[in-house]
Amino acid sequence: MKKKALTLILSLSMTAALLAGCGGGSDEQPSQDAAPQDTASSDSNADNSADNSEAETAQTASDEEQITLRFAWWGGDERAEATLAVIEQFEALHPNITIEAEYGGNDGYHDKLATSLASGTAADIVQVDPETFPTYVAAGDYFYDYAELGMDMSNFDEAYISLEINGRYNGSQLGLPSGISGAGLLVNKTLADEIGLDFTQPYDWDDLIEMGKKVKEYDPDLYLMSMNKEYIANLIVFNYGKQLAGGTFADPDNNQIRITKEQLEEVYTYVKKLFDEGVIPPASYQASYSGDELQNDTNWIEGNYVATFTYISTMDVMVAANPDVEYYAGQIPKLDGAAEAGWASNTPQVFAITKTSEHPEAAAEFMDYFFNNETAMETLGTTRSVPPTEKARQICSDNGILTEWTMEGANIAAAMGGTPNDKISSTNEAKEILFDAVESIGYGAKDPATAAEDTLNLLSGLLD
Amino acid sequence: MKSAKSGVKKTGYRKRDYQAFIYIAPWLIGFLVLQLYPFMMSLFYSFNNYTVGAVPEWVGLKNYVKLFTQDTEFWNSLKVTIVYTLYTVPGKLIMALAVAVFLNRDIKGINLIRTLYYIPSLFGGSVAIAILWKLMFLENGLMNAFLQALSLPTISFLGDTRYALKTICSLEIWQFGSSMVMFLAALKQVPRSLYEAAQIDGGGKIRIFFTITIPQITSIIFFNLIMQVIQALQNFTSAFVITNGGPMKSTYVLGMKLYKEGFSNFKMGYASSISWVVFTIILVVSLLLFRSSSAWVYYEDQGDF
Repeated sequence: MKKKALTLILSLSMTAALLAGCGGGSDEQPSQDAAPQDTASSDSNADNSADNSEAETAQTASDEEQITLRFAWWGGDERAEATLAVIEQFEALHPNITIEAEYGGNDGYHDKLATSLASGTAADIVQVDPETFPTYVAAGDYFYDYAELGMDMSNFDEAYISLEINGRYNGSQLGLPSGISGAGLLVNKTLADEIGLDFTQPYDWDDLIEMGKKVKEYDPDLYLMSMNKEYIANLIVFNYGKQLAGGTFADPDNNQIRITKEQLEEVYTYVKKLFDEGVIPPASYQASYSGDELQNDTNWIEGNYVATFTYISTMDVMVAANPDVEYYAGQIPKLDGAAEAGWASNTPQVFAITKTSEHPEAAAEFMDYFFNNETAMETLGTTRSVPPTEKARQICSDNGILTEWTMEGANIAAAMGGTPNDKISSTNEAKEILFDAVESIGYGAKDPATAAEDTLNLLSGLLD
Repeated sequence: MKSAKSGVKKTGYRKRDYQAFIYIAPWLIGFLVLQLYPFMMSLFYSFNNYTVGAVPEWVGLKNYVKLFTQDTEFWNSLKVTIVYTLYTVPGKLIMALAVAVFLNRDIKGINLIRTLYYIPSLFGGSVAIAILWKLMFLENGLMNAFLQALSLPTISFLGDTRYALKTICSLEIWQFGSSMVMFLAALKQVPRSLYEAAQIDGGGKIRIFFTITIPQITSIIFFNLIMQVIQALQNFTSAFVITNGGPMKSTYVLGMKLYKEGFSNFKMGYASSISWVVFTIILVVSLLLFRSSSAWVYYEDQGDF
């Protein structure tokens, strides 16, 4: 009898330990482990600066215990293949390190990431949207400073990585940019030439409407641009709005909204015109291809659009959906004499090492390989847009991996040089407000004036 | 044996009786940690301004006040959720009952047919099936190709505010299998003598169905009704995957709103208050249904448990 009770108690305590292990590990362990890790990282630091060769690092690493890292990112198949290949290369050089890849679509990625950051279960290395990153940075002390981990950042252009949007917050390099991107216009050259449209010269927003009419005259089944409410809000409303307002939508330093009702109404009136004139497909059609699903639009696949606003990092994906025609990166619209260009050039993603990582030094070592190794640069190619370092760009263009439109698109965006969205208007909530407004205009539920007023009321609610 | 007997007689617990707690410990711990704790914490958070990762800040009833007085989205979501429930629950029950009646006969291969009809329910609330639904009802999807083949005008199932919610409801109604299986079991329990008697008296099929079959299976109807109402009020998957709450928030059920506030906007306190409103609604509706049951539900054993 006694034996039985003992067995029970033992198994019970094991169950309890298991549960406690799951729950407690998240908040207690990391803080305790942080101190020894720091010293370990500065050790490997010294190694790195003393001798940068792969063999040396591999040797020091193999003396250590078995390490498992988790690396989370979102993206398409091509990106996944390239990233997995780089992981394999790294693992071959560092037999003691195993990297578990956690990848999938963009859908819900950040919702999951936010929860796992808060609960302390996030992957060691995470890919984050640069516009969502500030929300995480503000919410808690979640990420390591790369400089602290001894990361070699000499390949990066200092002016580029020092921007907040590219990962440096108050002097701490919490994120590293995965590339150079921004928005662009991908033009189906075959169709554009057929209709006689030219996007190679600078033009303004109204010109797009005129071109849209021309497309409709040519063939009523065609549209000038593929669009959905997210792209209208992110690329048209924000950029047109910034050009009109002469700055970002909000002014976080003074805690106020910068764009006026009249300016926003003008932007919304323009959006309404895009719908009314058939420059873009109707809202009910767009609803099936919301978010980052423009490449799945059957009209795009069949070549029924002359162009699409897109992100430079997504251009190759769009091309792959309909590879039978020719493409180029077109100019992007700008108001005459606008002081603020709106269109910004920045990284499409940042990579960050989370504070809950048990082996931040190993994670930094992987990031070092990821960004600084020539084989890795070649393998990764342009799967995350135009590479962030000059060296990688050179390698890619030598190998013909950098597609013309991607390079050209990045140049056009860089030449625009607009200001990225401020930390208020880049939050999820602010964007949702704009998405809803655009949608209500598209469905004719609100007129531009009402939509502008509602938007400003809701945006003011986001101020502190 | 001895000690067990004496344990029953005595009023208090003996030391040995506490062993019982060890036996139920796995469940008890699971309940405390995975259910009671989150349950109480969400109640606590609902009175706080709690951003993910930050320290909760007590704000009293502010979340609820904002929800009921300022948040127009909430009323829309509530309306959508109620409409969704009103469509799916009767729809599913009628569908399940009709199919169960159809399958309640002795013909060759009936077991295979029953299995086929049950298959949709095996997929449950899975995401894969929701994606399938989305692909079927796309602007250029299977359903519209079908309509075109019949020379009918195409419908924007997911893009039109008039149809989007109904399209999602149809997915839920399609998954009628589990209710159907229970109806089928209930139909088999109806005494044959009642039918025979009715037939001798010359009762028609429809009359027999409404005066004998339905009253005999009210207990199962009631059970299915309660379960389906609870499920419908908590719906999230289909709205999230197929339409993402759109177009124009026409499928923005409370489950979606809760998710967006909590996981996209990081307002966990506010999301918790929404979940408590949903919980209260489910509680009240269930209680009302139970109240009404004495009037229309027939139990063979007079309702003694």
